[in-house]
Amino acid sequence: MIHRIILAVGLVTASVAASQTSVTAGDPYGMAQVWSYNFSMNRPWHGNYYNQMHGQPLALIVPPTAHMRQTYSWGVGQNLMYPIHHQYGRSANSPGVAPRGGFHATPRWPSHTDQFGTYYVRGPW
Amino acid sequence: MKIRTLYHAVAALAVCTILATSASADDVEVDVEVEVDETNVEETAPVAAVNNYVGDYAPGIQRGYGQPDLFYNFYTQGGANRVNAQMYLSPMPVPPNVGHTFYTYQPFYPHHMLYPHQNRFHHQYDCGRGMNRTRALYYYPPARQAASNVYWNFLRIPR
Repeated sequence: MIHRIILAVGLVTASVAASQTSVTAGDPYGMAQVWSYNFSMNRPWHGNYYNQMHGQPLALIVPPTAHMRQTYSWGVGQNLMYPIHHQYGRSANSPGVAPRGGFHATPRWPSHTDQFGTYYVRGPW
Repeated sequence: MKIRTLYHAVAALAVCTILATSASADDVEVDVEVEVDETNVEETAPVAAVNNYVGDYAPGIQRGYGQPDLFYNFYTQGGANRVNAQMYLSPMPVPPNVGHTFYTYQPFYPHHMLYPHQNRFHHQYDCGRGMNRTRALYYYPPARQAASNVYWNFLRIPR
């Protein structure tokens, strides 16, 4: 009998979780969304390099369902995965443009994909 | 006996929960009819000084209607950024001597094409007496998606 009770509770939980069809991306309670939002509040979306064509760090829009990014560098131990925390929002922020000299140029011999000055930002929902 | 009673209670709770969630998921439309006693209005105030309308929150407190920005943009968020980026034009803004480009129809914004979802756009006009609602569905093309699945799951050499 205890197995049937456990089964019934499981069915109730599953039906409640499945009835929320308005959310997507396998995150029915929005927990990963909240984590990403909290992390993005005190971390910059950009690295220390500017994009050569733009003169500023360049935000590359990726789908809002994207959640990880991969960096490559020389050596096996330098190929790392990071979560993409930042997402575009509606309110404009300051500073809009950074002063010159605030970021490094891409080295003459780049050794890391972050040195190209292009960083992912997820699109809005 | 007690266990069986508990089991019935759990089953009833499940039914109630499913009913409640299905009822809350539906869109509920409410028709509101407001009757105005015109004779009373005419008696208390002359025609030129009428300042309350049908649909007001309270006499003298009018209902506000959103006027969404036509050319809104999206920006990076957070307090630790040394530079912020706008989303349009993507991936980078054009030089100032080129001018600017606007998307004037929100359902065609390219960031909606990045993932399957549905959206509703509302526009209220004529001081809230008219509303235009546009429902947009963004989905993968079914035939192309089926062909892609066949390729990736059966035809492709796994490597």
